[in-house]
Amino acid sequence: MTATKGTIFFLPGLGFDAVAATPITAALQSIAADRFRVVGIDLPGHGGSPDAPNGSVAALADRAVEVIEGEADGGPFFLAAHSMGGKVAALVADRILSGDANVFGLAGMVLLAPSPRTPEPMSDDKRAEMLAWAENGLISEDHAVEFVAQNVATSLADDDERAAIAQVRLMSPLAWRRWLDEGSTEDVSNDVGPIDLPVVVLAGEDDDDLGASAQPRLLDGVYPQARFVSLASTGHLLPYERPNEVAAEIVRLWDATVSVSPQLTPEWGRLVASERTAPEARGFLARRAIADDPDYTPRALSVVQLEMLRALADRLVPQPEAPRIDLAARVDDDLAIGRSDGWRNTGQPADVSAYRLGLDDLASLWPDDDRAEQDALIDGIISGELNEFEAGSSSAWSGAMRQHWLDDVRTDLTRVWLSHPASMARVGYDGFATSGPASGPAGYVTVAADERDPWEPAELGSVASDDDDADERDDEHHDHPTLNNARTVEENPAWI
Amino acid sequence: MDLSRMRTYDTEEIVDVVVVGTGAGGGPLLARLAERGLKVVALEAGPNTNADGFTNDEIEAPRINWMSERLSGGDDPTAFGSNNSGFGVGGGTLHWGAFTPRPDARDLRLRTETGEGQDWPIDHAELTRYVVEVERTIGVSGPTPYPWDPEREYLEPPVDRNAAADMMAAGCAQLGIRATDAPAAILSRDRNQPHFGNRRSSQNLGSIHQGERYGTKATTANTYLPAAVADGAEIRADSMVHGIELDAQGRVEAVVYWRDGQDVRQRCANLVLAGGGIETPRLLLNTGLANSSGQVGRNFLAHGGVQVWGRFDEQIRGYRGYPSSLISEDFVRPDGVDFVGGYLLQSLGVMPLNYATSLVRGAGLWGDELMNALDAWRYSAGIGINGECLPSDENRLVLSDELDEWGVPRAVVSFTAGSNETAIEEHATVTMTRILEAAGALETRVLARTAHTLGTCRMSVDPSSGVVDSEGRSHDIPNMWISDNSTFPSSLSANPCLVQQALALRTADLMLR
Repeated sequence: MTATKGTIFFLPGLGFDAVAATPITAALQSIAADRFRVVGIDLPGHGGSPDAPNGSVAALADRAVEVIEGEADGGPFFLAAHSMGGKVAALVADRILSGDANVFGLAGMVLLAPSPRTPEPMSDDKRAEMLAWAENGLISEDHAVEFVAQNVATSLADDDERAAIAQVRLMSPLAWRRWLDEGSTEDVSNDVGPIDLPVVVLAGEDDDDLGASAQPRLLDGVYPQARFVSLASTGHLLPYERPNEVAAEIVRLWDATVSVSPQLTPEWGRLVASERTAPEARGFLARRAIADDPDYTPRALSVVQLEMLRALADRLVPQPEAPRIDLAARVDDDLAIGRSDGWRNTGQPADVSAYRLGLDDLASLWPDDDRAEQDALIDGIISGELNEFEAGSSSAWSGAMRQHWLDDVRTDLTRVWLSHPASMARVGYDGFATSGPASGPAGYVTVAADERDPWEPAELGSVASDDDDADERDDEHHDHPTLNNARTVEENPAWI
Repeated sequence: MDLSRMRTYDTEEIVDVVVVGTGAGGGPLLARLAERGLKVVALEAGPNTNADGFTNDEIEAPRINWMSERLSGGDDPTAFGSNNSGFGVGGGTLHWGAFTPRPDARDLRLRTETGEGQDWPIDHAELTRYVVEVERTIGVSGPTPYPWDPEREYLEPPVDRNAAADMMAAGCAQLGIRATDAPAAILSRDRNQPHFGNRRSSQNLGSIHQGERYGTKATTANTYLPAAVADGAEIRADSMVHGIELDAQGRVEAVVYWRDGQDVRQRCANLVLAGGGIETPRLLLNTGLANSSGQVGRNFLAHGGVQVWGRFDEQIRGYRGYPSSLISEDFVRPDGVDFVGGYLLQSLGVMPLNYATSLVRGAGLWGDELMNALDAWRYSAGIGINGECLPSDENRLVLSDELDEWGVPRAVVSFTAGSNETAIEEHATVTMTRILEAAGALETRVLARTAHTLGTCRMSVDPSSGVVDSEGRSHDIPNMWISDNSTFPSSLSANPCLVQQALALRTADLMLR
């Protein structure tokens, strides 16, 4: 298992700022050395950062996206978010996965007692009490002490408590009141669809409203892959109460997802993030880059059929043990949504039926552990030699169906493999980044062999203008196209 | 495209002409008829899209293609889907390759010349006048002088050659084969298109088949259709025509289409079918009209499109630049061969999924061999052909028992290459392999494929041997016309889209007499 380097962007809860990432940073350092860079974010009105233009959750997300756009290196990253930051993080993730943000690399989320996308459960009395604290300016020392104490199950260590209190005292009273009045009560359900990412949700058993028992219900329908971790003797202030557990879950999730799935290098990731890539295309690539769910439940095929397809995929579109894409699961997903290539062979059952029949048939023929026999079987089907070989499993499967189906399977698996941004990078394709700014070149300027434009990844060639030895043929043919009217080969033999 | 201010017509109004389809057959005709003051309504099965609606992502881009399933049979089944019919305002011109060779006079007289195939009942000089008009209206770039036609003049200089073109040119030069910059409906200079606005000069995009947002490639949606709308045409998107109603005299009086979940009936004085080589015969077979000859659906033609790819030391990365930026017409009538007709050569750079699909389906690759070939793609330059296809009674379109999402029976299209097609493919494969080897290719690979959907409602002088006359008018129904590539009597070696736009203008002029 490779220890891919990555970034953790931390979105703190109400009252807390980038400093609140310190205990988690230290815990990560102790268990994972330098594998992770932690970037704490000062949300508006926190940590001395200016107030937002309004009290909406979207305004908080704007700032978070701005920081992430500036700090992201193009490589994979997680969002870690606490309480209020969790609600903001849902919007941030949605913007990144839809391609709206100029960011690439979101690989998962670690949520700590997150505020839900629906109005946060909070008693009127508690809200009134907290509002009163910020009625006349900065929150007092006493109220800050009380706030921290209310949010922990057992007292923090002195240093941590002092740090936590200092952050609360530093925050903007306007931002405090706005969250209580507006942000926490806002329903952003319609702005945030299901976020199909690897997600871990940690929450304390002694947290009143956002605790472990409430979270599965509060987040219902938001994070289909969420795994919930319940922490005993823990209140609401997880970044300070349980930094070691949080760090361990970050590493565990990273190793189970990012480390075992193909990743773009930061250079390629930055190109996807750039203005050269259209938002819609960036969204496609962002969603395809997400690690496959190891517990994927097939939607069109049976579990047994999916396993057969996985075995077949390993032979048809081979990948290393790790990192890898679950090609079979992605084909199943395409089948479930009815993705079609626009045609099928006469007499062939419709796609989903053909896959079911074909996989059942293949399972009855498949030599499990003998690669040479598997090769012979695959070659025999592709060539049509086995068309007359009677299938035992179903009379609905006969003649050339097996051959035609395997053509479709090979095409589908190849398409799914190539749709992954890491596969595009592997084959040297950066054509997703040809939707550049409205003025100036949107596509390519340099199209000659072994040369590249300055914005392209370095491995794709040398930049013509940097190359003093560029031969004249390229200059003649690519830098002055309008002078080349009527050049035929006979007339321009210079570049042979 | 912008339809927000277009004129609209009531469905009860008897408009002068309804046009079914907005691609290369419907677009120019609609513009011409509207320009002359006719009340015209175009019905397009697919959606209307603005420039941002096009994506360079190959997996999602087929939303501009006709993806409702077709059934494909014969020994050489056509792969429909992402590279055949279009879907959306602009039709097939949204995804076309913009490769614009002119039709060769010899190809229009193939039967006279060889005794095989079919002649076109159209004068080459007349057709060429329309071709020139189309070239100037949509903006075709190309070399002047043109080696195989000294009289020809292109007003726009050619677009850049990409690395794949450089390789083909090098090989051709070694072998004494003439090759030059390809004529292409890609702008080499910015252009202010009347009624549309600014279209930018070539951005060297290899993703033009996915749809293109800068207007560098001509589509009907950035040329003829905006002009038509400016002159009072209405374009109704998301409108799938499935019925044609006749009056007591056997003339069309209305069409019926599906829109927003219900059937709509539009009255009309004339009907033009411009849905292309699959949808037009499917509609006619489904309605049982215009088929007294029994020729609807017959003589399906698919151009030979075999490719040979060479692997080089250099990173070619042919997804950059206009994909087919070099042409040779030296093989339109090659010497000493045992087939009739011939083929055009074009250099090829293709997008990754297109190439991968050809490796899988066209070369049968799988496993490590497939992955190695994918890794070699960036070092690969290709050459492809557009080859003559002779009509055959066996190659035809019929209706299936299975219904599509509009309740219309799906098309079943059978295609088997004949001996002439096979001979052309073999000759071309040898030629292309020699060129690539002369250019220094380390190894070569042949990828089989066909292209285009032509000939299923062919034009004929004799009403018993075709569906429409030489003007495009139905032999059976006097106020019904066909303006699409289903009317091609033979395939020609030239790619069909430029010819089709010329034919559309010609049919419009003949309707206006």
